[in-house]
Amino acid sequence: MANFDPVLLSVIANRLDSIVREMENTLLRSGRSAVLNMARDFSCAIITGDNRLIASAEGLPVHVIGMEYLAEAMTDLHDDLAPGDAFLHNDPYLGNTHAADHTILVPVFVEGKHLFTAAAKAHQADCGNARPTTYMPYARDVYEEGALIFPAVRVHRDYEEVRDIIRMCQRRIRVPDQWYGDFLAQVGAARIGEARLTELSEKYGADTIERFIEEWFDYSERRMIHVIEHLPAGTIVGEGRHDPFGPVPDGIPITVKITVDPEDAMVELDLTDNIDCLAAGVNESRTCAMNNVMTGLFNSIDPDIPHNAGTFRRVRVKLRENSVVGVPRFPHSCSVATTNVGERLVVTTQRTFADAWEGYGLAEGACGIGPGFAVVSGEDRRRDGSPYVNQKFLGSQGGPAGPDIDGWLTYGNAVTNGLMFRDSVEIDEQKYPIRIDEMRIREDSEGAGYRRGAPGTRVTYGPKWDTMTAAYVTDNHHFPPQGTRGGGDGAPSIAFKVLVDGSEVSLEPIAQVDLAPGELLGQLLSGGGYGDPLEREPELVRDDVLSRFVSFERARDVYGVVFEAEVLTDVLTVVAKLTAARRDELQVGEGAQ
Amino acid sequence: MAYRISVDTGGTFTDIVVATSDGALHIGKALTSETRAFTGIEAGLAQVASELGVGAREILAEAEVLTYGTTRATNAIVEQKTARTAFFTTAGFPEILLLREGGKPDPFRHIPFPKPYIPRHLTWEIDERVDSEGDVYRPLDEESVVRALDAAGDVGCEAVAVCLLWSILNPMHELRIGEIIRERLPSTPFTLSHELNPVVREYRRASSTAIDASLKPLMQSYVTKLEEDLREAGFSGHLLIATSYGGSWRPADIVAKPAYSVGSGPSMAPVAAVTYAETDLETDNVIVCDTGGTTFDVGLISGGSINYTAETWLGGRWVGHITGLRSVDVKSIGAGGGSIAWLDPGGLLRVGPHSAGADPGPAWYGQGGTAPTVTDAAVVLGYLEPTQFLGGRLALDVNAARSAIQTIATPLGMSVEEAASSALVVSVENIVAAIREITIAQGIDPREVAIVAGGGASGLTIGQIARELGCREVLVPRTAGALSACGAMYSDVVTEFSTAHYAETREFPVATVNDVLDDLGRRADGFLADLDDIDPPEVRKEFSVDARYRSQVWELPIDLPVERFDEQSGASDLEQAFHEQHERVFAVREEGQYLECLIWKCRAIARLASPAMAPIEDGAGTAIVSDHGEAFFRGMDFVDTPRYDGGTLPQGTEIHGPAILREPTTTVVVYPGSTLRVTGFGNYVLKIDTTTAARTERR
Repeated sequence: MANFDPVLLSVIANRLDSIVREMENTLLRSGRSAVLNMARDFSCAIITGDNRLIASAEGLPVHVIGMEYLAEAMTDLHDDLAPGDAFLHNDPYLGNTHAADHTILVPVFVEGKHLFTAAAKAHQADCGNARPTTYMPYARDVYEEGALIFPAVRVHRDYEEVRDIIRMCQRRIRVPDQWYGDFLAQVGAARIGEARLTELSEKYGADTIERFIEEWFDYSERRMIHVIEHLPAGTIVGEGRHDPFGPVPDGIPITVKITVDPEDAMVELDLTDNIDCLAAGVNESRTCAMNNVMTGLFNSIDPDIPHNAGTFRRVRVKLRENSVVGVPRFPHSCSVATTNVGERLVVTTQRTFADAWEGYGLAEGACGIGPGFAVVSGEDRRRDGSPYVNQKFLGSQGGPAGPDIDGWLTYGNAVTNGLMFRDSVEIDEQKYPIRIDEMRIREDSEGAGYRRGAPGTRVTYGPKWDTMTAAYVTDNHHFPPQGTRGGGDGAPSIAFKVLVDGSEVSLEPIAQVDLAPGELLGQLLSGGGYGDPLEREPELVRDDVLSRFVSFERARDVYGVVFEAEVLTDVLTVVAKLTAARRDELQVGEGAQ
Repeated sequence: MAYRISVDTGGTFTDIVVATSDGALHIGKALTSETRAFTGIEAGLAQVASELGVGAREILAEAEVLTYGTTRATNAIVEQKTARTAFFTTAGFPEILLLREGGKPDPFRHIPFPKPYIPRHLTWEIDERVDSEGDVYRPLDEESVVRALDAAGDVGCEAVAVCLLWSILNPMHELRIGEIIRERLPSTPFTLSHELNPVVREYRRASSTAIDASLKPLMQSYVTKLEEDLREAGFSGHLLIATSYGGSWRPADIVAKPAYSVGSGPSMAPVAAVTYAETDLETDNVIVCDTGGTTFDVGLISGGSINYTAETWLGGRWVGHITGLRSVDVKSIGAGGGSIAWLDPGGLLRVGPHSAGADPGPAWYGQGGTAPTVTDAAVVLGYLEPTQFLGGRLALDVNAARSAIQTIATPLGMSVEEAASSALVVSVENIVAAIREITIAQGIDPREVAIVAGGGASGLTIGQIARELGCREVLVPRTAGALSACGAMYSDVVTEFSTAHYAETREFPVATVNDVLDDLGRRADGFLADLDDIDPPEVRKEFSVDARYRSQVWELPIDLPVERFDEQSGASDLEQAFHEQHERVFAVREEGQYLECLIWKCRAIARLASPAMAPIEDGAGTAIVSDHGEAFFRGMDFVDTPRYDGGTLPQGTEIHGPAILREPTTTVVVYPGSTLRVTGFGNYVLKIDTTTAARTERR
């Protein structure tokens, strides 16, 4: 650091993050599909010319960690990189997450040298799969999955489109205009990155930028060393399991071995002790296996550290070839690599951290794409029966509790980590011929704890006039989000249908269902708790009761809090003496079990 | 002599600006009293009166218009001192205010989920439901209203906010609930969502409704008291209250819709900037910066028009409460004079987001603060002088500032001055990154605009900020210290009427839309006719619509090219205007695509007679140096730096940096390579040499 201006270090690092945010804003504003606009299912990053991730601002960890593998595929496959190039890459066997995440890569040249790669990745509304969904959990292999796969294919030369490739996509991807609109938005974002990186490099000179890169990685590594040095030493093996469905009747077991070595300032995340690849679309790609387990790690430590190749020098991820959470063996399908098993990797890792070391890690949060986030389709008689198809984001899925903070209510799922937006009831009813009947907090669904998980919501909706089809891929029905350190589990998720007569029937957790007018589809998902609920401050339990998160009964029996009179107004008063006695009683009960 | 007065009551200070008939502006500054607006006004007015050599009462008696802006409503919300308010909503949806619209500032940072504006236990579900086509799906169960009202009364609710799904298409149920409230709780103020803010998206409408109802008891007594006090003190002119829309209203209107006073103070800074840009700048594309102790506010003017937004959040985007009302777009960056410099565990110099606040404040205050702040850095560098701050009213503790900066200088292995200068660079970089993101998101390139800078501390670093943005011109008004109050001086009476009516341009229902526009026009005419006694020199109406391309998620506001559509051309001009606006904001257009129109609006504007700016003496460009002192500049070390006193410089004066210009309420640092010119109206324009940026920074 002595020979590099520390102020300049800060200025250029800040500028790189700012460039990434500018790329992301471009994508958010000009993208067409709801997946982009509402779910915010996209990320941008800057990678160095020698394929190290350097800047990712606040991108989704599942997207940005491993972007360097995409750039690596580009430099390995093409020895004629030139200014004006852009590449489309979505190959899960060559560094991508899953086929539905299209990535645009633009190499950035300064003084004739390939100094950076600007990358924009976005989940597509459609990627040419065999069925009209980007999630194919039942696909036996990549052929049955059916997605178009692009191993870092050139789509721009001299800043002009390679029309052959565009035409291929427009022929095989549903709603081609929507795809092309999102493609343009991604190319626009990557080109903005290119322009800004060029300006920056010209301002300071390529030499200074190259020295900056090394200094910044060293600085980031120092931050990570500092964090790991303060972690307790040890090794722990954590286990989790994805819900059973069709091809996997026992569910999918996951084993994560975490070793923290503060002396060498290294963390090892070992996924080698896991089952082989499955004949289903649930296999992790190499990138997803790595970045999801790392997300679990980053959820568990200081959020202020940069997330780049310098930091990653202090993390060793061990993967096995042909493992469901390792390096996939072709042609096993990775169609749902970013959700489901991927989410389980995140929550299992963070919860294992919490189990092992007090004050670190998180409980488990809701996983999967529940019925509230389903892809719905049908015909709209208000618009002369024209077809509609889109993913909706209604209600919420609850987040996990941590050592100090209750779970985030509009968490979404483990890979979006709260960043996702939520649909307006009125806008959805205007856009689609549906009626939303109810959206309220599901009482007593929170994982109880000293810090509680977020409760789920009860959302019900259905078609107004004509049959509607809904596809969803939920989890947490058989194996709900686990609490940690004495905290309770979140309530199991339930997909259900309300029939015309008002009775409720439960549905398969992963399904495509038809709903008749008058029928409603519903969901309930929540997050796990952290620590003993008997230690939760009684005033916070009172808040939860007044918020209708927790019933009086649950306050008494799970949290051991007794009130003077059970009224839902702010005269509600905790009786300290009776609460203490009730807590003693429950403690003894627990001990006896 | 006729005066025009404007007042901006902030949390700490009340700024008063008095314009005399020759257009000269006189500024007073006094402490704010939270309970009585007049206390601050009286004290500030006394300062101006003694400057003018007349009595304060005399000024009031001869004032034609007094425009009043206040942060009272904003502060009441932030401090949770609003009325106890009940929330009535459609059965099945009691969590609208809790769930908001999703989103979180950072994926890895664990923060508590924010509480709703009105708690669940003061929320009542009303049995009713209107559909997206405006049909009644479930009729209103009046019993459920009566039960809710009784329960709300029992727990002491002082106001009621009513927001039902789709009330904007069919307000029948909300109107009936209003009648029932009047019958059963006649003295309780209430707000109906379709009347206050008829927009789609239930969270935004519910949030504005809740905020509005909760402010009613408070703002009613506050404004009434102000009016009484002013009349008693001899004021017989027109009292107008500033709104978040950058205009002003009669007191009765603001009492009826107090949510519009939220954020009215900051919204006036761009109004001032528009006026100054007209007289003193050659461009009408402007970034407006207003620096405070803890925040740096940024507004935008493009093509001479102020930028508006429907997304104003109190307490932070996504996690606070949205006002939901269309208002002047002012974004706050958490960087001010009090931001603290620190070293992170990797040894990197950071500035903010923590701030020293007012107590103990920066180290130089000498009130026991030890953390190094941005203004401490300015003191160490010699930009702020021990005896000159606030016209000498506040003395500086230079030693305290130095020892504070020393705490970062030692670990950085730098001299105190180098460390101070580094802290300013990092602070500037934070602001530059944020401005860049704000402007670019609006399709504006910061290199092609000018800056208007207000706020007492803005002149210290605005030259550096402009240089890093690549912005060549900065206007620092003499009245920079009271920019918002000055804006109120130039504001018009503006209000907006709107109706939700869904229409598609492919089979455009000309007659129905014209009926909607006619009705809006009539309401606007009625409003303007009521202003007869103020006798505005000009009134006009502007029509607009919130529209989007088929199946898009977000709407864009588009000014209508016509007041009525004709059968012949239908909506083709509107489509054309939309394509252009879409391309400007989003860089793409979809020729041939039809539009979905959601909300139709009519803005009624009554321009008031505002004072013309007063030119100052022409001194053929002679600069008079008041004194000299050392100041530290990056890459130059300490250099002898001339100091000038603002009031003494004639128009056309040019000062080359390094130099420092002092005004009673602000200090402008002219960095090496920059030039400051005194304009014909006594304001200051900095010309920035943007090409030197890289050289000086690379050392």
